[in-house]
Amino acid sequence: MRVLVVEDHVALARQVADALRDAGFVADQAADGEEGHFLGDTEPYDAVVLDLGLPVLDGLTVLRRWRAAGRDMPVLILTARDGWTEKVAGLNAGADDYLAKPFVMAELVARVQALVRRAHGRSRPEIALGRLVVDTAAQRVLLDGAGVKLTGLEYRLLAYLALHAGQVVSKTELTEHLYAQDFDRDSNTLEVVVGRLRRKLGDGFIETIRGQGYRLSAG
Amino acid sequence: MRWPRSLALRLALAAGLWVAAGLGAAAWFVADIAVHQVEAAFDGRLAALLDAAVAVAATDADGGIVLSRAPAGADFERPFSGAYWQVTAPDGSVKTSRSLWDQVLPAAATGHDGVLLRDASGPRGEMLRVAERDLLLPGASAPAHVAVGLSRMETEAEIARLRRTLLVTFAVLGLGLVGGVVATVVAGLAPLRRVRRALVEVREGRRAAFEIDAPSEIAPLVAELDALVAANRATVERARSHVGNLAHALKTPLAVLRNALDGAAPDLPVARGEAAALERLVHHHLARARTAALASAAAGAVPMEAATQVARALRRLFAERHLAIEVGGDAALRVRLDPQDLTEMLGNLMENACTWARSRITVSVAAAGREVIIAVSDDGPGLPDGDRDAALGRGVRLDEAVPGSGLGLAIVADLAALHGGRLDLGRAADGGLRAVLHLPGQAMTVGA
Repeated sequence: MRVLVVEDHVALARQVADALRDAGFVADQAADGEEGHFLGDTEPYDAVVLDLGLPVLDGLTVLRRWRAAGRDMPVLILTARDGWTEKVAGLNAGADDYLAKPFVMAELVARVQALVRRAHGRSRPEIALGRLVVDTAAQRVLLDGAGVKLTGLEYRLLAYLALHAGQVVSKTELTEHLYAQDFDRDSNTLEVVVGRLRRKLGDGFIETIRGQGYRLSAG
Repeated sequence: MRWPRSLALRLALAAGLWVAAGLGAAAWFVADIAVHQVEAAFDGRLAALLDAAVAVAATDADGGIVLSRAPAGADFERPFSGAYWQVTAPDGSVKTSRSLWDQVLPAAATGHDGVLLRDASGPRGEMLRVAERDLLLPGASAPAHVAVGLSRMETEAEIARLRRTLLVTFAVLGLGLVGGVVATVVAGLAPLRRVRRALVEVREGRRAAFEIDAPSEIAPLVAELDALVAANRATVERARSHVGNLAHALKTPLAVLRNALDGAAPDLPVARGEAAALERLVHHHLARARTAALASAAAGAVPMEAATQVARALRRLFAERHLAIEVGGDAALRVRLDPQDLTEMLGNLMENACTWARSRITVSVAAAGREVIIAVSDDGPGLPDGDRDAALGRGVRLDEAVPGSGLGLAIVADLAALHGGRLDLGRAADGGLRAVLHLPGQAMTVGA
């Protein structure tokens, strides 16, 4: 899951990005509205955390431009002004949720997770696929009720496939959603990770669709 | 034409134009009447002279006509004196007064009845008024013709003098009237100048209130200004007391926080608790500051508009719960408060309703007398009777499991009270919470 954090306060931006990384997200950062708008316009993010008071281009304008251009990723707005007039303006400009500063980091992470789930039409954090359960809130994977130990990248790949369960996900899409923007991407790594996951979960869950990508199913 | 900006100048100008027109017309009428009278008097005198001439006319032994003696009443003897007579016998022979010397009066028409008055040119080219008539003397076969002429010079001079006198009189009268108007206006506007001076003194802090004994037309203005000054002062007072409260409320937890973090073994649970308390306080006081700042700027807002906007935002916010948020009522109703305050109240009430509702919240807007009633109902669990008052208490959260600062309903109640309204909590028809806002309405409607 790739998340964009648009926040001009350096320390806060780092805290948010770190917390999201800890929660299994890949986080890109932008420090002003223009850069944030560009990234959100060109990269496929699964969610955006958008501050409203931004330099160069204010958050509300960034949001309106994204929505006008058809970018429909879920957006959580952060604002110091927590009056209802601002909330209504933000939500009616196309935001999906808001969080007033100061906030508790755990709540921000929970809300971003909820937004991503909601965007995939799921209301519960656990995704059950037969014997396999992926708990996106706790970042846990259970096989027959027992926990499976996964690395960060393994978990991210499995969680992304689980959110798109039953659908074919291309390697390009996986790469775009599992790595940060300036990460050195190597599609061979994906094959290696998928191989490791198959060993840990057993065959039957992850199918390779030749020439198209991977598909996760109940096995 | 653009009117000058000065009220006094405007009134003086208007009065001046009106006085000039009125006096001009009056002067013209009066002059006309006076000139008429002078002319009539002159003609009367001329007719009398003609009568005098006729009275002394007689037939002489030859059958010719003579004047038995000089007619009285004018100087007919001195040459070119300006008074002349002339008698023309039926045979055409003419006798004249000595004053005509060797001249005759211009030929007169004969054969008409009574006295004929006409203007003519005198022996020296002067303006002459001539009265003449036919006269049939005893023993004569045909009528003789008697004419008397008088120079108009004196009369013309008299008329000119009359006109001059009238002009001067009316001009002086006009100037006097305009001066009177100007003086009245200046005196009438004096209270405004007093108000201005008082305003300056109030602004500079040299006096607390106007308290001017103003005339009844200006008294309401002065009263409104006094009210404005009082409202401003109240706002400043409120802000000052807020700052005091804020300082007190923030410094205590800050001190505790500091103590908890100082020393060899920081007490993190206490620090965390105080940080949370500080956050709540900042939130609360910012909300209060906002309400205080906006309270005086009552611009007027449309509840249906605000509720519709908030409903749209909440549908997005609670998208996954598929709540039915229904807003209905009179779209023309307005309330007398700032739109931001109304949105704040509706946002808090409607979000609270969304948080607790099972499937549906309804917002209704209706008028009741001079009040606008906004009711927000949900079909959630509702509040037990005993908890409703507590819910309006500051920072009280009745359920710690649901996110929120616990200030929502208290803020709504504060805001409503600040604007002269109130918030009532009750039970909805299907058991949920029914929050009813009573707000002062406006008589005017959106369309008007």
